[in-house]
Amino acid sequence: MNALVRTYGRTLTGLFVFLTTAWVIGMIVIPQLFMVERSLWVRQESTQLSLQIDRLYNDISLLRFDAQAAPDIDKPAVENKISKIEEQIAELEAQEKTPQKVYTLSNYTRMSGLHFKIFVRTIIYAAMVTVLALIVCYPIAFAVAQVATPQAAAFLMLGLIVPYAINELLRVYAWLMILDYQGVLNTMLQWVGVTNLAKHEWIPFLESPGAVFVAMVYAYILFMVFPIYNTLETLDRNQLEAARDLGAPTWRIHWRVAIPHAKPGIAVGCIMTFMLSAGSYAVPQIMTRGTSGDWFSQTIYRQFFESNNWNVGAAYAFTLLIVCIVFIFLMMLVFRVGVRDIAR
Amino acid sequence: MTTATLSAPATPVRKTREGRWAGVVLNVYLVIFFVYLFAPLLVMTLAAFNAYDYPSVTQWRGWTLKWFVELAGDQRILQGLWNSILVGVGVIVVSIPLGLAGAFILTRLQSRWTGLLYGVLVSPILTPGIILGISTLIFWRNFEVPGGLFLAMMAQATFIASYSMLMFMARLQRQDRSLEEAALDLGASSVLVFRRVTIPFLAPTIFTAAVIAFLQSIENYNTTVFAIGGNWTLVTEIGSRFRFGLSPVINVIGVIFVALTIIAATIYVILKERDRKARAAR
Repeated sequence: MNALVRTYGRTLTGLFVFLTTAWVIGMIVIPQLFMVERSLWVRQESTQLSLQIDRLYNDISLLRFDAQAAPDIDKPAVENKISKIEEQIAELEAQEKTPQKVYTLSNYTRMSGLHFKIFVRTIIYAAMVTVLALIVCYPIAFAVAQVATPQAAAFLMLGLIVPYAINELLRVYAWLMILDYQGVLNTMLQWVGVTNLAKHEWIPFLESPGAVFVAMVYAYILFMVFPIYNTLETLDRNQLEAARDLGAPTWRIHWRVAIPHAKPGIAVGCIMTFMLSAGSYAVPQIMTRGTSGDWFSQTIYRQFFESNNWNVGAAYAFTLLIVCIVFIFLMMLVFRVGVRDIAR
Repeated sequence: MTTATLSAPATPVRKTREGRWAGVVLNVYLVIFFVYLFAPLLVMTLAAFNAYDYPSVTQWRGWTLKWFVELAGDQRILQGLWNSILVGVGVIVVSIPLGLAGAFILTRLQSRWTGLLYGVLVSPILTPGIILGISTLIFWRNFEVPGGLFLAMMAQATFIASYSMLMFMARLQRQDRSLEEAALDLGASSVLVFRRVTIPFLAPTIFTAAVIAFLQSIENYNTTVFAIGGNWTLVTEIGSRFRFGLSPVINVIGVIFVALTIIAATIYVILKERDRKARAAR
């Protein structure tokens, strides 16, 4: 802090501290805490309350009926009872108007079987997307970083950036047209006689979860290529040459030289791809044309904007966040990289 | 195999037979990969010119430009574009100062808390976008601020500021501190040093960071869709079209995106090439 004050003076340093604090507290930490707080309570359901109130009204009318038949000596006691019940009713009715906040974990534990299944499936699919993207991207990153001449590398980079610059929705949308009932793939299959579009005999690719899968690998592939490329670029080519001259087969050169060097990049790529696909709302929405809810993000969206149950939605969102945090620490552990290597 | 290459004269890239074989496989793989990358964009582009009412390339009904005309008259999309620009400008205004402040503190602060602060400030990049949207929405609800353009801007700025900060940090790490020290020694006030030494040094990065912040804001969907409320941006409007009324108008938007990207990329390459030639000439 002293170094800052010495160079920029009190006013500017104060401004920096103020802005950073506002960002950390007001935009990062507190909103997350509010989300967690929201996930930890429910409003006591008013249906139960109104049932209770109805029951009490019944009791009163019963008592009134009793009072008519009862001998005069008992009447004050019954009247007393009635007025007590009436007080209770007034209290409950006040509560009914302002439902009580009750802190509970039920938003987490109440997750239905279906939602839980979607949740688990989303995590598994996101992990599979990550692995697949890694397998697809590693050779590309290696080729651009190590094999290509500088001019070719620049050209290849441009080829990677152009699709990346196009909106996520539109990138995925193209796959909708390819996998549609009468889309490109089914038409090509018709040429080889597998499908017959005129007779509505097509393969419903879009109905299978694989469609989301393919589009997701496509959408997030570049988040895997760039970090790996960045680390492989710093690998000295002589090391590869040396390994080859010493008789190492290609796979061993990668396993013992290139991949260990690319570790931080692989970790970052995996974290980004997993995080993006686990939390993707766009891809599943497009591939299912906004109808089905096969992805956990869609389940969360429904809790907020269709069921209007923000507390459960917040609980689900926090669950997803925890999974992502666990994944980050897992990657840091597996690849032995620090926080500083992760976001560069 | 290896003895042959060892005795061979040093060529730029020495290759064994196996190495050559691996090279061929890699080249084939590169071609397949780029077809995979570009074929969908080609499909999308073609469908924008198809006269068929539903986006398709297989049901070909002849070339047309009518979807372009229809887009020009689509009020919701034009309004969405305007909203996107508003949000994007707001994101620049919020995230550049935040990013700068964070970068200054992180590069100059020598404390054991620096690591933690760094972790907190980059955490929005590693958080799923929908969660940033949700937490912003829930937070502002306490101040009776409903979802809308303002919340979309705030939610986006949370993580875009982190990207800006990383860019500024990279630039600040290459800064020659002695310039600032010299200016101070010569009696310049700290505000003057900041304005005349530090800001000019950071200016190119501020410009790049602002452009990237704007593009990221325009592109964003996952965060925006939760924070936008009843309003809409270009991208959330496109998103809702998948549910209600898919038409080749969306392809036209895609074509425009593709065209703009290619133009920008070409300009970038030309400028870089000119820069390289100018440097070579010097």
